[in-house]
Amino acid sequence: MSKVTSRANGGQVRQGEAGGASPLSKSLYSLSLKPSSRPRTDAASDVCPVCKSSRYLNPNMKFLVNPECYHKMCESCVDRIFSHGPAPCPIAGCARTLRKGKFREATFEDLKVEREVDIRRRVASIMNKEESDFETLKDYNDYLEQVEEITWNLILKIDVDETNHRLQRWADAQAAETGATRRTYEPDPSMAGASGVVLKKGGTQRRALETSSGNTTDTNVKDKGFNFHGLKKKVAPPPEAPFDPFDGWSIAPQYYTLQNDYDADWLTKHKREKEQLVGGYQWSDFYNRALQDAFGGLTVFIDDEIRARDIPSGDAAIGTERAATAAAGGQDVNMDDIF
Amino acid sequence: MGVSSPAALSPRPKPPGSHLAVPDRAKALSGLSRAAKPPASAPITRTPIDGGEADMAEQMNDALRSQFVSGARLGEGTYAIVYAGHYRHDPTKLVAIKKIKLNADFKDGIAMDAIREIKYLSELSHPNIIKLHAVFSTKDQNLSLVLEHLPLGDLEGLWKNKSITYSSADIKAWSNMLCQAIWFCHANHVLHRDIKGNNLLIAADNTVKLADFGLARSFADPGAKMTSNVITRFYRPPELLYGCLHYAGNADMWSVGCVIAELALRQFFLPSETDLQQLSVIIDVFGTPSEESWPGVGSLRYYQPPPNRSAVKLPQPLSWWRGRLPLLGDDGIDMVRGMLAMDPQKRLTAEQALQHRYWTSAPRPTKKENLPNEGGGMKKEGEDLKRKGGETPAGAGRVDKVARKLDFGGM
Repeated sequence: MSKVTSRANGGQVRQGEAGGASPLSKSLYSLSLKPSSRPRTDAASDVCPVCKSSRYLNPNMKFLVNPECYHKMCESCVDRIFSHGPAPCPIAGCARTLRKGKFREATFEDLKVEREVDIRRRVASIMNKEESDFETLKDYNDYLEQVEEITWNLILKIDVDETNHRLQRWADAQAAETGATRRTYEPDPSMAGASGVVLKKGGTQRRALETSSGNTTDTNVKDKGFNFHGLKKKVAPPPEAPFDPFDGWSIAPQYYTLQNDYDADWLTKHKREKEQLVGGYQWSDFYNRALQDAFGGLTVFIDDEIRARDIPSGDAAIGTERAATAAAGGQDVNMDDIF
Repeated sequence: MGVSSPAALSPRPKPPGSHLAVPDRAKALSGLSRAAKPPASAPITRTPIDGGEADMAEQMNDALRSQFVSGARLGEGTYAIVYAGHYRHDPTKLVAIKKIKLNADFKDGIAMDAIREIKYLSELSHPNIIKLHAVFSTKDQNLSLVLEHLPLGDLEGLWKNKSITYSSADIKAWSNMLCQAIWFCHANHVLHRDIKGNNLLIAADNTVKLADFGLARSFADPGAKMTSNVITRFYRPPELLYGCLHYAGNADMWSVGCVIAELALRQFFLPSETDLQQLSVIIDVFGTPSEESWPGVGSLRYYQPPPNRSAVKLPQPLSWWRGRLPLLGDDGIDMVRGMLAMDPQKRLTAEQALQHRYWTSAPRPTKKENLPNEGGGMKKEGEDLKRKGGETPAGAGRVDKVARKLDFGGM
């Protein structure tokens, strides 16, 4: 583009600005006045309970929750409080140790629903039997009912410790049965005293190791945490047989043994011929073929073979009888060279 | 069809296994080649055996022919026309009907290719060899071979189709089926003499099936000469290029080695323009043969000793093979090199090849149902079956008529 035209364009733009609102300023104006796309249930939902800043001052405010306690706070608070490592929840009366990594945006507005969905997801990943795993439909339904009971126990915080331990044992038993790599089951962190939060990473790992090793001994004592009636035994598929390059075929002589060499006058002449050897002619092939030709018909019963064919035997019988009479009758049907 | 009384002629509801097909056919043809005969479709109402005008072979032929319904034409070559077809009683049982054209060279009989094909296919029954359901003739003296329906193209199309990817386990599975087919042929003393990618058709269940026995023959007796002008050039072993007249199954094994290498390479392994060039291509890879490496090579008809020491080439080292055929792995390379030994006495036989550790080492060959395939459709089989033995598909960049001139003196 030439300098002249660009200058001309610049002039036009300036004129436009002088004349009134430019498209940019218009859009900024409309943005600031636009009501938030997020539906408000109450005024408090847009005020961070920790720093009390509101969406009015910070339109990009984002609220996060931690599945430890499901207390909501704004992103900047999370950054401020938890950036330097685990810290207690700032909500009064909670004081649970939270980590920044676990914070996430809530899927549901109602955090009780959020928690229930989380629990259900976790239970379903452990209690993952299907109808085909059970002997009868009733057993499957009983199982489903029991799973629902476990879920509700966790949701309503009834026997939480006990249920969590049983779930853990069940998960271990399942992993041992399928031979899968162990998936460590994390007890619900929102439950008070589930296993106590340990601040040091090494500590958690050690503890996880201890519990898992303890549980493997448990599974050996066949305490699986739960006992479902009518559960089919898992049968491991038999190991695959080694590959057979011959695919089960074998052509071995039954009525003779093949020697390495045979002596016959008419053969010795050829045996010394260089031309026979240089091209890879195999004498054993010739011997084998001669013997096979000689013994080939032994124990072959044509009648049996015909009967064994997967055809209506009546027709076959007619056919062979006819052919036999024809041959016996000296007709011009020559069946000698049938093979 | 014309068979009104079912008892008249021993119609077997299933096509006769190949055993009976040949004599029927030969009988019918000898009848046909003689002069006037009643039309083959004459209705048969009397018991024909008591000297009816249509002889028994013709009736059997008619009964056989009426079992099949011929459908769309799939392809036409110089040698045969291929039709899709199915059994009359069960239209879901598909077949390919290969109708051999009358050949000017064989006015008084059947084309040699057809004889060979019928003879050996009717003798061999193996899952990796194409099945010959029946043979019958039509009024115009054309011979029809009812062959297995193999709709998924061939091995050459498979490696040429760049939209298909396959692994070393797939190569192993295909190679194994090929080796089994060859082993079975050789164990029954049949030389195929035209093994190449597009004679290895693929069935609907991904089984590789050896087809086109138009150049096959049985193993020669000691002293009997065979022609050296067989096997498509790319797959022809050095002893045949040197004009050897006494060879055995190991000539086929060279072709097998070429096909396996081709699968791993996804291009022709030893391509050339002329027979002479073929030999130089082979020598580039395997070195100049000498009396030490191949005892007696000097006695072969077309052998020329290298003019000077500088003309002697050395075989390629193992590293060359590893770089060229990485998909085969060390075991596979060892087997292929065994199949591609210059001296046929040192070459692996089909049985030795199947006993090689390549098959049992990792990776395990892919199961048939998991093998990749191209939905080539019936058209490709038409293309493959209509060719003469030794002929190459058009446009493959090769001079055709490779192995056409056959010497039948050795038959």
